[in-house]
Formats: sequence, structure tokens, C-alpha cells
Amino acid sequence: MAIAHYQSEFERLGSLLPWQGSPQWQEWRQSGWARFAAQGFPTTRHEEWKYTSLAALEKLALSCAPVAAEAPALTWDSLQARAVLPQARYRAVFVDGHFAPQLSRLDGLPAGIAVRPLSTLSAQDSIGLQAALEAVRTRTPFAALNAAFMAEGAWITAAAEASLDDPLLILYVTTRGGQAQHVVNAYDLERGGRVAVAEQYLGLSDEPYFVNQVTGVQLAPGAQLHHVKLQQEGERAYHIGALQASQQGGSRFESHSFALSGAFGRNDMETALLEPGAAVVMNGLYRVAGREFQDFHTCIRHESPDCTSDEYFKGVLDGSGRAVFNGKIVVAQDAQHTASRQSNHNLLLSDQAEVDTKPQLEIFADDVKCSHGATVGQLDEDQWFYLRSRGLEPDHARTLLIDAFSLDVLSSIGHAGLRAAMDHLMRGQGHV
Amino acid sequence: MLIIKDLHASVGDKPILKGINLTVNAGEVHAIMGPNGSGKSTLSNVLAGRENVTVTSGSIEYLGHDLLALEVEERAREGVFLAFQYPVEIPGVGNVYLLKAALNAQRKHHGLPELDAMEFLALVKDKMKLMEMNESMLYRAVNEGFSGGEKKRNEILQMAVLEPRLAILDETDSGLDIDALKIVANGVNSLRHPERSMILVTHYQRLLDYIKPDYVHVLAGGRIVRSGGPELAHELEKQGYAWIGNETTGQEVSSGS
Ligand SMILES: Nc1ncnc2c1ncn2[C@@H]1O[C@H](COP(=O)(O)OP(=O)(O)OP(=O)(O)O)[C@@H](O)[C@H]1O
Ligand SMILES: [Mg+2]
Repeated sequence: MAIAHYQSEFERLGSLLPWQGSPQWQEWRQSGWARFAAQGFPTTRHEEWKYTSLAALEKLALSCAPVAAEAPALTWDSLQARAVLPQARYRAVFVDGHFAPQLSRLDGLPAGIAVRPLSTLSAQDSIGLQAALEAVRTRTPFAALNAAFMAEGAWITAAAEASLDDPLLILYVTTRGGQAQHVVNAYDLERGGRVAVAEQYLGLSDEPYFVNQVTGVQLAPGAQLHHVKLQQEGERAYHIGALQASQQGGSRFESHSFALSGAFGRNDMETALLEPGAAVVMNGLYRVAGREFQDFHTCIRHESPDCTSDEYFKGVLDGSGRAVFNGKIVVAQDAQHTASRQSNHNLLLSDQAEVDTKPQLEIFADDVKCSHGATVGQLDEDQWFYLRSRGLEPDHARTLLIDAFSLDVLSSIGHAGLRAAMDHLMRGQGHV
Repeated sequence: MLIIKDLHASVGDKPILKGINLTVNAGEVHAIMGPNGSGKSTLSNVLAGRENVTVTSGSIEYLGHDLLALEVEERAREGVFLAFQYPVEIPGVGNVYLLKAALNAQRKHHGLPELDAMEFLALVKDKMKLMEMNESMLYRAVNEGFSGGEKKRNEILQMAVLEPRLAILDETDSGLDIDALKIVANGVNSLRHPERSMILVTHYQRLLDYIKPDYVHVLAGGRIVRSGGPELAHELEKQGYAWIGNETTGQEVSSGS
């Protein structure tokens, strides 16, 4: 049924999708569709989706139309207070899956840095995108679906040694239900290029909608990407993301994910450390309450010697919320001197909340330092009592302890501007 | 100030306090001594409102009100302060943040304006001098990585900032070196006030050399088995609890003051 719906959307919308004249894109979309159609919606019988039911999403007949029926009347003033980088010098704002030039500001970028919304690209100019997205498009069934429908997103490139240190805000706002957005982000950083960016997904609709996004990252030797992804989706929203990075020698990828709201979230993230000296930091925080669900499936591939990976995820689960963390680390046979750390700590605030956490280490080299650990715990009664015995309201004391548990993820954000922005968003000014 | 009548309390279904009677008047300092496991911390916890101790019978009147009817945080704002025997470490919560939040919660409760950051820092730095504490402790997490003695000093710093009406110090002297003991005792003495009462739980006469109690009680087997003046502590120091003999097994002798 779901396949049939997307099939008819694909037929209905085919000619409305961009770059019609390009055989490469035709092929891209067709093969994406074929791959998705062959697999269908994954079920819980599928190992990678064991705890993650898509039954409710499958029932929704969402429009995949790439063109807005009417442009919602949003102003930057109305969005600014919700933006993670309210003072961003550079911002690309997308509303309901469409680039909104009047809300964006992309002039005066540093030399060698380009930020291009897909809808501004000619068929010819857009072909270069395929390299950055090639690896991710086969990563999951939804990445394949994205390949079929993708029409919008941002392509960020850095020439050799070019630097965008003043962080870029890429803001995807959803204002209405009923739609499936297929957006992409592509980051191509040449040798020594450096980019700091926050991708924020902000839901302003309480109706069901679906954001299906993919991110491709290519880091040449010595390149550095500081990446924050923030999910603040609507209460009935589905958010599915796939990220694939490839890292050459001495490159550094810092990825910080914050899944803060939304009915359903799933992220498949993978990076390949291809040459010596490449380093990845893959951190995150998920919070669920009510009946929310968040799922992180991560994979770090050590393909080469002398690379490091640090992975640190925290979860806070309240109400009947559920979460899944699956952290795979693969160390290839010749990836000697790999240093890899992984941890996942969860705080359960209610008896109904549930988390499934699973480290998955596949180590084929012998001279490596790998550590991993996962915990599931509850609020510490002694700490809670102590704070109340000093006169703090029970709720205040509880919030303090939850923040104390979860917000140490902020201190690991290496880029000072992004760290300050997330700190402000997560705790305002109050806490010392 | 505080009137405890025939207080019985259990942890789980194990009775710990078995009929405590104790009256503490405004301005008085009472010392409570007694063997390990006799119920001193349990009594302190009941006063602070710890939920895992169940009061099975008896009453506690504080400033004319039923203390047991108040929530933990309400007791604190009404001036009850417990310096814990084992202060808990709270990573991720700043010491100065807690101090300020605690003081402002109390001020708000009493209809006073909250202190801003500048006013608060001036006040807390003043109190830190009294406790001879390094200012850097303010910016660390609550008790995290503090030495045993530093934790105890931090408790008294909180007390100095909050200026409680009824302070219960549960073995604040344990683990302090000689100099720290003097500093803590000075801090406590500077807080003595005709409107402020204190209960000092201790095992050692030494603390009572510095902070002169008005009364000394011996708690054993969940009851106060003997009460007297400061000389009682000297006697205990010399002779140990065996001196009280069978009384420590629970027969009530005299209680209250
Ligand atoms: N949570 C608990 N569960 C079971 N027993 C408890 C609990 N808390 C206290 N007790 C018991 O209650 C009794 C009194 O303990 P309490 O801590 O009040 O003693 P104390 O007089 O403060 O001893 P100390 O001088 O060693 O500090 C002890 O036998 C102790 O084991
Ligand atoms: Mg004790």
C-alpha cells in the first residue's frame, strides 16, 4: 500500500522534479526508486529495524510534491528566537522543503566557500553533487527513496584551505502537515578546508509530516567539518536521516546530534576513516517523552591505521518514550593503532520508558585500543533529596539533575561558536 | 523551637527510632551522642524530611507548626537545615548555582526580592572567608571530588549562607583535621544566635570543646537514654557507653531537657 502510494507520487511528480534534461539525474532517480521499491518499508523482522516500527508512517498518504502550493508568510523575525544560531551571519532557510531566499542570507561568504541551495543549480552545475551523495544513497531504503524524490537542500563546498569559521545555519522549517520532504545536504571540503555548520529541523506543525533527509560528507586531507544536527520536529512528525562521511588523511569530522522532539526519529550515520590521521567525534543526545521514539544507528569504519574515533551518546527517556542506540565499530585488519572509544549512557525517568542499547564491535586488527560501555540508570534519589533539602522545588531539582546527566555532551563540541549556541539553546543562561 | 514527642520511625519495616522525646528551645545548642547505628542520622533525616524513613507514631512541632506535614523543600525554606554526615556529590550542578538557587528559593518563600548575581557573590565570598575556603570551590560541581573535610566545610558554608533557624549538624566534625575543626567550629559559633537552635550529632568531646552545648543527650537503641549538661560528654569520653550500661540497650531514663 505504501509502496503504491509512493509509486503514484513518483509517476505524478516525475516531470516536476528538477534537472529533467539530465540523463544522469534521470538514472539517479530511477535507480533510487527501483531500490526503494525492491526493498519496501523495512519491517521489524529486518535486523537493522528490529525495534523500530514504521507501520504508522506507512499508512500516511503524504504528498511528495517539490513545489509549494503557496508560500507560507514567515518572517525571519518570527523564526529568529527559535533558531539555534539567531545571530548567524550566514543562513540558508528552507520552508516546507523549499529554499526561502527572503529568509536567508548568503552574501559575503569567505573566499573559497560556497553555499548553494539545490533549486538555484542548473542541471549541469548540479552534477557535481552526485559525488558527495553517491555513498549515502544506497545506505538505507529511505536514502534510496530520497534519491528518487530529492529536489532541495544545500550544497556546501570549501576550496583548499578555505574556512567558514563563523557557523552557517541551515534551517529546515515545516509549517504544515501532509507532506513528505526529501532534502539533502552535501559537504565537499577540499584539502585543509574548514566549515562549521548547524543543521536545524524545526517543526511548527502539530500535524503528521515526514522529513526524509540525507547528508553526504567528503573530507579531503586535513579538512575539518564541525557539524551540529538538531531535531526539533513537531509532535506527530517523522524524521529519518542518513549520513555518510568519507574521511581522508588527517581530516576531522565532528558530528553532534541532538534529537530533542518529534514522534519518530531514526538516524543512520556512518563514517569511513580511509587514511592515517583521520579522526571522528560522533556524539549525540536523544530525549524522548510521551510516546516519542528516537533511534540512532551509527557505524564507524576504521579502514586505515592510526585513526581515532570518539563516540559518546546520551539518552533521557521519560513517559512511555522509547529509544534505540546501536553503535557499530568496524576495525579492518590493517587498521593497526586504531584508538576507538564508545559510550552510551541512558537515564530512565519513568517505569514505562524503554531503551535498547547495543554496542557492536567488529575488530579484525590486533594492535588497537578500543573501549566501549553502555549504562541505563535512574535519577539518583540521594542527589534529588539533597537539592530539595536546600529548598529547591522538586521539579527544579529534577531538571537540574537531568541536565547534569545529559548536558555534558555540550562540552565536547569543539567549535566554540557552536558550543555556545547549543549551550544557550539547551539551558538558557541560568546554570553555572 | 522544636518539640519531639514519642517519635517512632522505621526504615522499611525495621523500627529504628523507638520513642524519642526532645525539646530544643530557641538559642540552645544540643549535642547528641551515641553508639554507631543507634539512630542519630535517622533522627536527623526525619527532621529534614527524608521519605525513606517512615514516622509510625509521635509528633514533631517546629515553630508551632506540624513539621511532619511539610515537604522537604518547605522545611528548608522555613529554616530547617541538615548538614549531612555524608554529603552527596552532584556532578554537573555548580556549587555556586546551588547556593544561589537555595538562597533565592528561601527569600522568595519569605516574600523577599531575589538577589542578583553581584549581590549574591558579594555575600557568598564574605561567608567563604569565614570558612577559609578557596573561592575556586564555588565554581566546581557540588561536592564533586571534594576531600572529606572540604565536603564538611561546604555544608557549613551552605548553612552560613542560608542562616537557618534550626541547624542539624550530623557528624560535621568527623574527618576534619585539627585546623579545619577549629575553622568549622568558628563558623558554627559565629552563627550562634538567640533565635537559632542547633543540634550537633557527634562522637567526640573535642567538637564540644569548641562549640559549648547547653545539653548533651545519649541516643542508644533508638531512644534518648540519658540527658545532661556538658559534663555528660566528658564522662562519656572517659568511660565510653558501657558506663551507661544496660541503659544503652533501650530502657528510658530521662529525656528531653
Ligand atoms: N536504608 C536503610 N535500610 C536498612 N537499614 C537502615 C537504613 N538506614 C539506616 N538503617 C539502619 O538504621 C540504624 C540506625 O542508623 P543511623 O544511620 O541512624 O545510625 P547512626 O546513629 O547515625 O550511626 P553512626 O554513628 O554510625 O552514624 C542502623 O542499624 C542502620 O543500619
Ligand atoms: Mg550517622
